Amino acid sequence: MTAVACELCPRRCVIPEGGAGDCRIRVNLGGKLRATTYGRPSAIHIDPMEKKPLFHFHPGTSVFSIATAGCNLHCLNCQNWQLSQRGGEEMEQIYRADPPEVVKAAKEQGCKSLAYTYSDPVVFYEYVYDTSAIARRAGLNNTYHTAGYINPKPLRRLCKLLDASNTDLKAFDDGFYRRVTGATLQPVLDALVTLREEGVWLEVTNLLIPTLNDDLAMIRRMATWMRDELGADTPLHLSRFQPQYRMRNLPPTPVEALDRARREALDAGLRYVYIGNVPGHEANSTYCPTDGTLLIRRVGFMVVENKLTADGRCPTCNQTIPGVWK
Amino acid sequence: MKKVHVHAEQRIGRRRFLAWLGGLGAAGATFPVLPREGRPRELSLREADFYRPHELAG
Repeated sequence: MTAVACELCPRRCVIPEGGAGDCRIRVNLGGKLRATTYGRPSAIHIDPMEKKPLFHFHPGTSVFSIATAGCNLHCLNCQNWQLSQRGGEEMEQIYRADPPEVVKAAKEQGCKSLAYTYSDPVVFYEYVYDTSAIARRAGLNNTYHTAGYINPKPLRRLCKLLDASNTDLKAFDDGFYRRVTGATLQPVLDALVTLREEGVWLEVTNLLIPTLNDDLAMIRRMATWMRDELGADTPLHLSRFQPQYRMRNLPPTPVEALDRARREALDAGLRYVYIGNVPGHEANSTYCPTDGTLLIRRVGFMVVENKLTADGRCPTCNQTIPGVWK
Repeated sequence: MKKVHVHAEQRIGRRRFLAWLGGLGAAGATFPVLPREGRPRELSLREADFYRPHELAG
């Protein structure tokens, strides 16, 4: 009986033969580590890029989005728990979709980008890596929506193939991470810095949960850290919580609390702070940080108007707006 | 004698009917249960509806 150590994420599971890691899908088969969901996604959809959310990366385009079962976090408020908190064999259906087939389908559907999303793509790493390599050769972009709970070495290797990432920063508090997600904060901060260092276009999402992570002093510390370590141009998406899964005892985040948090983050020096899960809110849209011109007007995930110049500048003051626009 | 012959034919018919009914019941019970309790239903990529509305976040 040979146990194997999975070095992919900070959990560093030691998996006995025939057993599975914490994520449920990385298993020890005959002394070799395998991901059971390789080439077997359970969710495939074409979404707007804004849904990831990526607001400064090819706005208004469609993204071919895939996910398999499994996750290395166990958030009490998980929005996709039917997918993330199950093993592949527990899903009602799965698709046979090896990497070349995924890329071929994305191209046939006219998508410029792929997204590895919904659950956490960290756990189906090999599938992401192989698909990303083929996608890049085919001229497609690779985007990654993750909680960032991954070790530096595999992340750096993957970054060579990634074009953009929306990474969750669930709270600027290790106690919150331990209590609510079963993970820890520092590896997530390290992953954010790695993504920035490797030149992956980076946006950050913070889901604001009433009483748990909506303290303004914490928001200020988080925004200050982002400004100093990731840069003031890193977009931050403050997202509204809805009661889900094992956290149904708390109410949805009041819009006023999101507004206060946004002001705090802007005051700390971040230039692009959005409010998510509140369709129609003015902070769904992008404004020039210099003169306040409305640049990209969005309603929910839909781009209604895009006034950016072809080279990504404000048409009024010529300020360069950071992002990947074409 | 004639009555006994008729009765025997009826018994054979009833057995066939019960066997058919049992088979139908077993098949009906097995089809919806097996894919859930056993392996997931495997579909090809061509069977996917990429534009089906969904509620997954991200």
